[in-house]
Amino acid sequence: MTNSDLLDRLVTTLKRDIAPAIDDEYLKTQAFMASVVVGKLTRQLALESGHRAAASADLDALVDELRATIEGYDEPGLRAAYTRLAEQREPAALCAFIEALYAARAVIGESTFDRLRRRIRTCLRADIDRRMEYAK
Amino acid sequence: MSAGADDEAVFLARVREYLGTRMPDARELSLTHVQRIAVGWSHETWLFDLTYREGGEAREQGLCLRRDPGNALLRHMSDLEEQFRVLKCLAATALPAPKVFWYESDPAILDAPFLVMEKVPGECPNPWGRAGRRFYAEAAARGTLPASFTAALATLHTLDWEAAGLGFLGVPEPGAGFARREIAKWRELIDASEHPPEPILADLMCWLESNIPAPARVTLVHGAYRTGNLLIHNDRISAVLDWELQVLGDPMYDVAYVLSDLNREGTPLLSNLVERDAFMRDYEAQTGFTIDENACRYYDALYAMRSVAFWMSASGLYRSGRSNDLRLARTTWSVPVVLERAARDLGY
Repeated sequence: MTNSDLLDRLVTTLKRDIAPAIDDEYLKTQAFMASVVVGKLTRQLALESGHRAAASADLDALVDELRATIEGYDEPGLRAAYTRLAEQREPAALCAFIEALYAARAVIGESTFDRLRRRIRTCLRADIDRRMEYAK
Repeated sequence: MSAGADDEAVFLARVREYLGTRMPDARELSLTHVQRIAVGWSHETWLFDLTYREGGEAREQGLCLRRDPGNALLRHMSDLEEQFRVLKCLAATALPAPKVFWYESDPAILDAPFLVMEKVPGECPNPWGRAGRRFYAEAAARGTLPASFTAALATLHTLDWEAAGLGFLGVPEPGAGFARREIAKWRELIDASEHPPEPILADLMCWLESNIPAPARVTLVHGAYRTGNLLIHNDRISAVLDWELQVLGDPMYDVAYVLSDLNREGTPLLSNLVERDAFMRDYEAQTGFTIDENACRYYDALYAMRSVAFWMSASGLYRSGRSNDLRLARTTWSVPVVLERAARDLGY
């Protein structure tokens, strides 16, 4: 039996055997919730490695595509946020870049703003679609 | 946590003793039909009937006691004292709401702040349960309750909040003040949750800051006006409950919540109860306001931010060890679900 199979069995035991046998409503709910939490966590962990690789590849592609546009604008806040994003390549840096992009909107113009935001949103959509595989 | 029977008996004895101090002429106080509801998520709520003798006569008063458990969701944003003050103010208005009797901040009395109010007759079916959905579907077919739902919201939005003394809730700055204040409030909760950064949320918050509508007026706003937060008696709203998110602001904030698909499941009926066209027609007729659908779409996105804040806060309570309630742990996966909805709201 693999670890994943064991966790699946744990979920089933909690849901079908333990929870229904509990009289106290609060504790019964807790047992059902334990089965839900373990089930979701199991699925998330099974997908984690593939998702991390895909997210990393998406972020690398995003950083590469943003470079040319960012270098065309003398906007210090946006450049600094881009540099941080290129170095760190993690969600906190992407959040900071999004904030800098909105702040630079008037300087870079609506058309560039829309194009960059659309490109970022493509990346965000792919990421949330992956997370929905275990969250829903 | 689930209190044992002994703990509960001791607690109820302390409640009875407290009520005796508040009702010095009452004798032979007894609590019957005790029911504890809303375990864990929000304030503890106890319903019971107080029987006693006064002036030689037997009397009975249905009461509701709400106590701050200390680790409830949103507890630092919805304190019982404010609820007490709001309900006290509402007593002088036409809005159906419970009459409040006492608020106590001294933890020596019942270990935590609490308030006591009347137990209003009625029921509050859970709109997400099978029985609740059937209840509201049948009520929708009869038509009386949907009309009462809309009428109560119209009353809430047209009551004179200044005359009622509700100005203490804070009048927003004209224009963008209301939405800015809401965004700041939910941002504070998000920051306090210490949840990892979420780029979709960053996008959503920037979008919200960039697209704030200008409200046409300021009214009392309930903040969570839906079935499940309304007590129903004889096919009518007997009390508007859950005064935890109220503000002074744009009434479209409540209208957007009513129109939102957040509050209905498998039915086109708003809040599982009201036909959209009938709601819009009756609300506009009764308030004299025109429903601003663009503002409602904006507030729907703001609700997405609020939901993210709720779930980040809820899951954070479990992660940090402040709560052992696994329902809160479960909300870890509600965060991406709401973010996905927010992305759709923003067009991607």
